Amino acid sequence: MSEIYRRDPRREWIARNRLHPEHTRVLAELGGLGATSEWLGPNGVIRKNPHAIGFIGPNGVKRIDRSGAQQVGQAAASSISAARQAAQDNRRNVNIEAPAFLVAVVPELSGGRLSSHDKDLLGLARRLADADAEQPGAVVAILFGKYKEDALGEAGIDRVVHLDEELYAGFAPEARLAALSAVERELAPRHWLLPDSPLGGADLGRRLALRLGGGQGERPATGLWQIEADAEAPLGWRCTTRGAAGSLDIQRPLPRVALALAECAEPVDETRHAAEPLSLAEAIPSALSRIEDLGQVAVDPAGVALAEAEFILSGGNGVKDWDGFHYAAKVLGATEGASRVAVDDGFIARHRQVGATGTWVTARVYLAVGISGAIQHLQGIQSCEKVVAINLDPGCDMIKRADLAVIGDSAEILAALVAKVEQQRGGQRDAA
Amino acid sequence: MLEILLPILIFAALALAAIGAWRRIRLWRQGRPAEVDLLRGLVAMPRRYLVDLHHVVARDKAMSNTHVATAGGFVAAAMLMILVHGLGLANPVLGGLLLAASALMFVGSLFVARRRRNPPARLSKGPWMRLPKSLMAFSLSVFLSTLPTVGVLPADVGSWILALALVAALAWGLGEMFFGMTWGGPMKHAFAGALHLAFHRRPERFSDKQGGTGRSTGLKALNLEDTSAPLGVETPSDFTWNQLLGFDACVQCGRCEAACPAFAAGQPLNPKKLIQDMVVGMAGGSDAAYAGSPYPGKPVGEHAGEPHGPIVARQGTALVDAETLWSCTTCRACVEECPMMIEHVDAIVDMRRFLTLEHGNTPNKGAEVLDNLIATDNPGGFDPGSRLHWAADLNLPLMADVKQADVLLWLGDGAFDMRNQRTLRALVKVLRAAEVEFAVLGNEERDSGDVARRLGDEATFQSLAGRNIATLAKYRFQRIVTCDPHSFHVLGNEYGELGGNYEVRHHTTFIAELYDADRLAFAPWKGGTVTYHDPCYLGRYNGEYEAPRRVLEALGIQLNEMERSGFRSRCCGGGGGAPITDIPGERRIPDMRMNDVKETGAELVAVGCPQCTAMLEGVVDASAEVRDIAELVADALVARPIADAASPARRPVGKTTAEEVF
Amino acid sequence: MRPEQQGIEVAVLVSVGRHPITGRTRRADQDARGLELALGLERQVPGSRVSLLHAGPRSEESEAALRGYLGMAAGAGMAAGAGMGLETLTLLEQAEGSDAIPALVEHLAAAPPQLVITGARAERGEGSGLLPYALAERLGWPLVNGLAAVEKVENGVATLLQALPRGQRRRLKVRLPAIVSVDAAAPAARQSAFGPARRAGLEVGRVAAEPDLALAEWQLAPARKRPKRLKIIKAASARDRFKAAAAKVEGGNGQVLEGVSAEQGAEAIFKLLKEEGILR
Repeated sequence: MSEIYRRDPRREWIARNRLHPEHTRVLAELGGLGATSEWLGPNGVIRKNPHAIGFIGPNGVKRIDRSGAQQVGQAAASSISAARQAAQDNRRNVNIEAPAFLVAVVPELSGGRLSSHDKDLLGLARRLADADAEQPGAVVAILFGKYKEDALGEAGIDRVVHLDEELYAGFAPEARLAALSAVERELAPRHWLLPDSPLGGADLGRRLALRLGGGQGERPATGLWQIEADAEAPLGWRCTTRGAAGSLDIQRPLPRVALALAECAEPVDETRHAAEPLSLAEAIPSALSRIEDLGQVAVDPAGVALAEAEFILSGGNGVKDWDGFHYAAKVLGATEGASRVAVDDGFIARHRQVGATGTWVTARVYLAVGISGAIQHLQGIQSCEKVVAINLDPGCDMIKRADLAVIGDSAEILAALVAKVEQQRGGQRDAA
Repeated sequence: MLEILLPILIFAALALAAIGAWRRIRLWRQGRPAEVDLLRGLVAMPRRYLVDLHHVVARDKAMSNTHVATAGGFVAAAMLMILVHGLGLANPVLGGLLLAASALMFVGSLFVARRRRNPPARLSKGPWMRLPKSLMAFSLSVFLSTLPTVGVLPADVGSWILALALVAALAWGLGEMFFGMTWGGPMKHAFAGALHLAFHRRPERFSDKQGGTGRSTGLKALNLEDTSAPLGVETPSDFTWNQLLGFDACVQCGRCEAACPAFAAGQPLNPKKLIQDMVVGMAGGSDAAYAGSPYPGKPVGEHAGEPHGPIVARQGTALVDAETLWSCTTCRACVEECPMMIEHVDAIVDMRRFLTLEHGNTPNKGAEVLDNLIATDNPGGFDPGSRLHWAADLNLPLMADVKQADVLLWLGDGAFDMRNQRTLRALVKVLRAAEVEFAVLGNEERDSGDVARRLGDEATFQSLAGRNIATLAKYRFQRIVTCDPHSFHVLGNEYGELGGNYEVRHHTTFIAELYDADRLAFAPWKGGTVTYHDPCYLGRYNGEYEAPRRVLEALGIQLNEMERSGFRSRCCGGGGGAPITDIPGERRIPDMRMNDVKETGAELVAVGCPQCTAMLEGVVDASAEVRDIAELVADALVARPIADAASPARRPVGKTTAEEVF
Repeated sequence: MRPEQQGIEVAVLVSVGRHPITGRTRRADQDARGLELALGLERQVPGSRVSLLHAGPRSEESEAALRGYLGMAAGAGMAAGAGMGLETLTLLEQAEGSDAIPALVEHLAAAPPQLVITGARAERGEGSGLLPYALAERLGWPLVNGLAAVEKVENGVATLLQALPRGQRRRLKVRLPAIVSVDAAAPAARQSAFGPARRAGLEVGRVAAEPDLALAEWQLAPARKRPKRLKIIKAASARDRFKAAAAKVEGGNGQVLEGVSAEQGAEAIFKLLKEEGILR
């Protein structure tokens, strides 16, 4: 069926006129599959007929359930998909033909995709580029290596410089720096934005900053998290950056090179940009490399230090199947932890003990299996963001602390979780 | 014949003993100088021996009597023998006395022999096994050779062979008793022990005639001002000379070993072996000759040392392994049990000081805890500004606001521990019920320095103590009350040396006082059976065994005492930084303690220490609940009868208020 | 190039740290890890010499913090008797607020070590983490960041392990002289012992100081808490918006699944792990 929506003013008129003899029939047609409650009005706004929805309650009073749960399943599904389509269609196409200036962004592109940090950074770039609607700038993304991302335009990129040569692969700061210097010479962007992430832009951005300005070096803003317009500043912006290991806020004029933290701006979600490929006219001079990348080294995930682990699978007294536990940790890619009791009983090494008397952990997700939650243990996981508990006893303290708790046999639940992850991984590989 | 041989033998033995004594004294003199009042010590020595030492020995009645007979008999016999046989004063009276003394000694040695027949594991074997025979040889031969002197037997009775046999036996006995005394035999304990009592490094620990019981448990401070002074003990010769002398006094009776919680838990520590290792190190050599129980898991014969060589090697082995020193919970059970008054804990902390301050090698979480203490003034690394967060709703009066109060409530680092906060809340409730005028230091309080000091970090301890003393000097208060026996001990017994003298009460003592002053009234106890665990730092360190029991009695609780309670209480495993250094053993100390609790059948174990609470509550599948006495008291509080409330007995303990003067 | 058997000269740049909670001076965590790495080099390259370098003002507080590094000499160095050169620390004394980079460049250029180890960023001041890059740029040396370990040094080439997220490692070869920076992935620093720290000496050299003018113009304030990002729902309908606004915040009060099958429980956990982006 055609996606183009054609209006029929007469039918719309009938639909509005409840007294028209054909009113119900027209409503049904407009609403699609017999549900006459909702249709798209003349101005593109959803209209509702409250008379056609709802049900008669036990007291003979008509009730309308606005949660949508009572809706006919199919109708609900179709209306939601329509809404989603509408949201997608809502993106405005933007094509900046003659930009007043350029904002260069070097995304981290971890795993070949734009990370959420990259998207925030591009949102920041758009703020800089679109500040003056009369004279918009263009966002140039410099992408190194192969990428899988197909929503470059949606992220707010106007131009793409794609450098896919072998010499940029892996850790090649010297080659990349030479490329960025070439971009600087040729395009002379007004702003350079990089993510301040350990192995993304933090390294490259600092190198770049010191290389710019004819060898004098630009003093970049690092750990930037906020910008605001300021007419007095050289580039028209002021920024707030984190200094002194995150304990200081520094307010300063925005320099040419900025290394921004995650969530420095909202990602682009209303426009779709052209993402036109752009190639450099000059060849990039090859840099002498004194650093050779010999590739990644296999590291046992279990060897990651507990205090730094992002995801911890922790076992306690309630774990009976330790083989299953270790296997689950392996499949989930989790670092293993344990309660004091499990350590005392010799199931797991002492340096894996979590708690006030063991290691204080800072994991983003802490999955506690069969741990009832002694106070010392709960103290040790204070700074974990999300705690998930699997336990047989619904009254234990760990359940009270947990953001998500599942009551049941830990071995079974872990096994089911492992199966689910394996199944999903398999599926992903097929798709890829 | 005998008349000629005996004096020669006796004086030869005495001469050899004198040479040995000189050599032994030279060994001790390798140690660092110590200030000791020699004359006063020698004068006090008999009393220290007869009263204080015997007070400890008499805990084992049979052994005490055996020792009285043997040692008393020997001393008398030796004196008389020198007179009678050595100087030839063949007086029948003296001879009779000598006969009696040697007979007494012989009877004593029979008992010694009986004990050696099936010796308990704690006793050392080796040369000690021949001691009863030596004692018998000496006493019997002296007895027999004295018989002619008193005329019971004619002078020329028996044959030459018999006389020779007698002389041989006497030579053996004399050799063991005099020669061995100073040349390192089992009898060394008598010589070194006597001098050790006289020149003890803690003369204040002995009782006096005025009825003072004598207690000295605070660690001695290092002089950090003097940059040339060594930090702790690296080699045996870094001990003070009287410490070395003390090690030599050890009789290897193994009472310390039997009392040591770390040894029982299979951690590599045996206090007796440690002292013997120090003796080995003092003379130089290997521990191969040691004949008692080894450090659990460490065979004898692999370690050796020398007077000026390191005790703990940075790599490999030396005299002692570091983990042996870090196994100690500083519970003082060994010191309490030691009949020779040896100070094991002092020696261990001295050696730990070197490991921490010079090696920088505090095991496991030790380094982290010390760093936290330096940076945040508490071992957990918490924000020092959040010390009072737990009491946000309690409106505790701050010393900074009120400037003076009757009672300064010292919260301790338990203020950061969620479990201990319950205890603190209970204590505040009790104080308020008794209308005690109190205040807290709040964020001005710091860790008392207990853990830092016991982990050997004297520098951090003195820094914390110095700042605490400066803070306390700003305010006026009658006394400090705390629910943490460790703070109690440090504030009361260890700050004095650094210039902070306070009257400190443990909360149980204070509650007992309040109850006795009729300022608290309790509902009768309805719970089940209860036992009480004596915290080491309250009991052995400060002698407070009564007050907690008085409080529990006031609550209407009948205690089921554990077999090891009072001064024999077994440590919970939480002292001396042991949970931080966490040396692995075969068992856990708190598990053993909860088993002790289980044996009494108690449903609840009352404690008076945050460490004990944490350690005992950490026991899985425990048979008893763990509650602090403050919690029990707070739960039982009832309003006092109205008539009582108006009585003058309710005014602050020991203080006349200003209003009453007018 | 000098023969490798003699080991290499390592300079560790150390700064005065700041405790994250109390703000007290201390040895900076990353710098201390850098020193630990340098001390560990002794095992790989026998006979290496480590020197400590700091540029900044001298005060009682900063001296105490710097002595924290010197206290680390106690562990391995003295035992091997190699004399790791940790008895002293070279302090390039500058006025407060001076730019340390010119002083350090001058000092390093005068007697170039083969390896310079620094922390990734300072715990005081701007803490931009630019210093190692500025040194590398001015000295013209290669720089490797995020160092986790030095595997070996041979013929003027060092084999290094660089830390990647989630405990992964990458092996790199770099030609010496080089600058490497370490962060939290490097081995944790050993305990600092009081005795050696107290005994060690500070070699103080006065250097010309260029005041950091830019820094002086900026406004510094204690870090504000960053607002948590709200989930903005651009829903098409009022009902979706309402649902998004009124829905219970996920995990806010803890969701307890009781009486569900193992599969349902696993499904719920799986969903949460997915949302958190933990599963890859």
